Amino acid sequence: MIQGAWLCLFAPLAGAFAITVMGDSITRRTAGWISTLSVFVAFAGAVVSFVGLLGESPGEREHLSTAWTWLSTGSFKIGMTLLVDPLSVLMMLIVTGVGGLIVLYSIGYMDGDPEERRYFAYMSFFVFSMLMLVQAGNFLLLLVGWGLVGLASYLLIGFWHERAEAVAAAKKAFIMNAAGDATMALAFFVLIWQTGTLEFAEAFVGAEGMSSTLLNLVALGLLGGAVAKSAQIPLHTWLPDAMEGPTPVSALIHAATMVTAGVYLIVRAHPLFELAPSIQDLAAGLGALTLLVAGFIALVQTDIKRVIAYSTMSQIGYMFLGVGLGAYGNGMFHLMTHAFFKALLFMAAGLVIHHLAGEQDIRRMGGVRRVMPKTFVAFLVGSLALVGIPPLSGFFSKDAILASALASGGYGQLLFAAGLLGTLLTGLYTFRLFFVVFLGRPSELVLQHAQGSHGRPEEEDASRTHGKTAHGETASHGEGPWTMTVPVAVLTVLAVIGGWLQIPDVWHPFGDWLHDVAEPLVEPSVTQDLVASALAVGLGLVGVGVAWLFYGARSRELPHVAGVRHALEHKLYFDELYDLVFYRPAVWMAGVWRRTIEEPLIGGSITGVSLSARRAGGVLGETQTGYLRSYALAIAAAAAVLVVVFLAVQ
Amino acid sequence: MAGPEITWYLIVSAILFSIGTLGVLLRRSPLIVLLSLEIMLNASNLALISFARLHGGHDGQIFALAVMAVAASEVVVGLGLIVAVSRRRLTLDVDSFRVLRG
Repeated sequence: MIQGAWLCLFAPLAGAFAITVMGDSITRRTAGWISTLSVFVAFAGAVVSFVGLLGESPGEREHLSTAWTWLSTGSFKIGMTLLVDPLSVLMMLIVTGVGGLIVLYSIGYMDGDPEERRYFAYMSFFVFSMLMLVQAGNFLLLLVGWGLVGLASYLLIGFWHERAEAVAAAKKAFIMNAAGDATMALAFFVLIWQTGTLEFAEAFVGAEGMSSTLLNLVALGLLGGAVAKSAQIPLHTWLPDAMEGPTPVSALIHAATMVTAGVYLIVRAHPLFELAPSIQDLAAGLGALTLLVAGFIALVQTDIKRVIAYSTMSQIGYMFLGVGLGAYGNGMFHLMTHAFFKALLFMAAGLVIHHLAGEQDIRRMGGVRRVMPKTFVAFLVGSLALVGIPPLSGFFSKDAILASALASGGYGQLLFAAGLLGTLLTGLYTFRLFFVVFLGRPSELVLQHAQGSHGRPEEEDASRTHGKTAHGETASHGEGPWTMTVPVAVLTVLAVIGGWLQIPDVWHPFGDWLHDVAEPLVEPSVTQDLVASALAVGLGLVGVGVAWLFYGARSRELPHVAGVRHALEHKLYFDELYDLVFYRPAVWMAGVWRRTIEEPLIGGSITGVSLSARRAGGVLGETQTGYLRSYALAIAAAAAVLVVVFLAVQ
Repeated sequence: MAGPEITWYLIVSAILFSIGTLGVLLRRSPLIVLLSLEIMLNASNLALISFARLHGGHDGQIFALAVMAVAASEVVVGLGLIVAVSRRRLTLDVDSFRVLRG
């Protein structure tokens, strides 16, 4: 079982290493298969661990395995320790299972890209980093995984490095995440200072003796990291821009795994958050705020991937809401189902994008259903699961979170209202996207690409697709090569049945599985479950209906509120605000320092030294006449002077 | 000790040295400058040998021999330079050698 966990961690790293070392000696396609294989081996390792844990009694499902002592200063020791418990095994299964499908999908999607090997090495490296994060047996290793994940996402978002936007997006993601990493590191410093350890269990015990101020600081620092990684307000602006990366990257990092790390962190460190209830409430509040803001912004976006990205933010908002209120099992449940249906949505969108030679603007799409009927079904299933229509997976998980909110007193009911409004928005933006892209009359672009191998990309598309040469042939594959369609099909099934793992009051193996790791603080009653489900499904359907009115067959005129629309299209001016608050003052300060310190003092002193040396050289140079006689005279005169001096001294 | 006092030797040496120095400083022909240098060296040799005789040691004489060897090599180099200069049909005037280039 422990061996399974170690295998799970290091298989992807070995894959990344092998692809890097072998370089040109393997074909690009082989690199893809090595990467896929390594992630599926990791999945097998995760399954072994899972089966091992299943065979034990619920109270004993926690195993630490230390390979070696990594750091040791005085009494403070940190080992290279893996933790295998229900929570980490759950994350391992999600990361390697969904991740493996996505890497397999990449083989088709990235086919023909000149730098495929680099891509697959990064993908494997990312999976390794994420596994490091979830399997870490102490906070320091968790931070290592946390940082490596940030690095891998930077590399993958900026994969198409000739595109200025991709590079800018990668930097933005990295810097935003670095801010979160810093607050987390600060929290760990406080923990070391107060408790003298970063082991999970010992730190949780030690934290009980800390003052409430320090506890709040620690929880706040951890929350900062979680908020940055999970793209919650106020550190969310990197996620929509990160859609510049290849679509499978968006599916892997920005839907299924990395962005959910924040939720995992809160669940993992829940004893700390429970000791600082105000911070935990803050997490829930931020989640509710994010789910609303992201839902509103998603209404007006025109890039197919950005709509899904905002939807991801919104859904993670639900998870934060859940875990912030202490419904850990339900939050993790939504994390899992979200990984299924959001990866499905991204990959179905990727099929459409791939088919249309890299076009992402939904205004140029329409009627895709006619040419891609299977993708249509997959996207429909994903959309319905996202909105939470029974019996698809999103219904069970989202409603469980809402029911928990309803059961959490006054504050929880406020958040419950926000969550309900969010379901309305979810229905609206999801089906706006769905209707615009798939229904209606096929647009010119769609028709052009539907006509078999003649539909070569136009010049303007060529710049966007960047190096994907095989697009002329995509139509002849039908909806895509099997490496792309099979993962989508598998995820479609998972998006349908994934929610059946937990049905309130009927059976709840999922909640029981996590019960001993993170005991929930709230248990909604049957009535609350029913009320929440009824309201959420009802409002979701209303959202779908409204979307149908405006974007479906009727396509009514939109109410025109210029100010609101403008604000939403500018993503509520968050980028502009940060530009004003952080970027400009920094540039201004730098300018002031340059004018007052750098140029006059530092630069001035250096030029001063060189100038004075030059002047002194000029003066001395005057004595260098070139006349032999003057040198001789100087020597003679000096000798004479020396003689006089010697005589005088004697 | 036979012969005149040491003072006389030194006076002769000093006079020779001064003549040499003045020659180096005032004359413009490189040949004469070289000759004047030789005079200065020989003046110092005279002083060295005088003192050697006075003290009865050999150090001064050996020193004088070394000076002669150095003087000989110096003349070789100096004359070589002068020949090289005159081959290029340049004026043999030390003041015109202000800028030394190939």
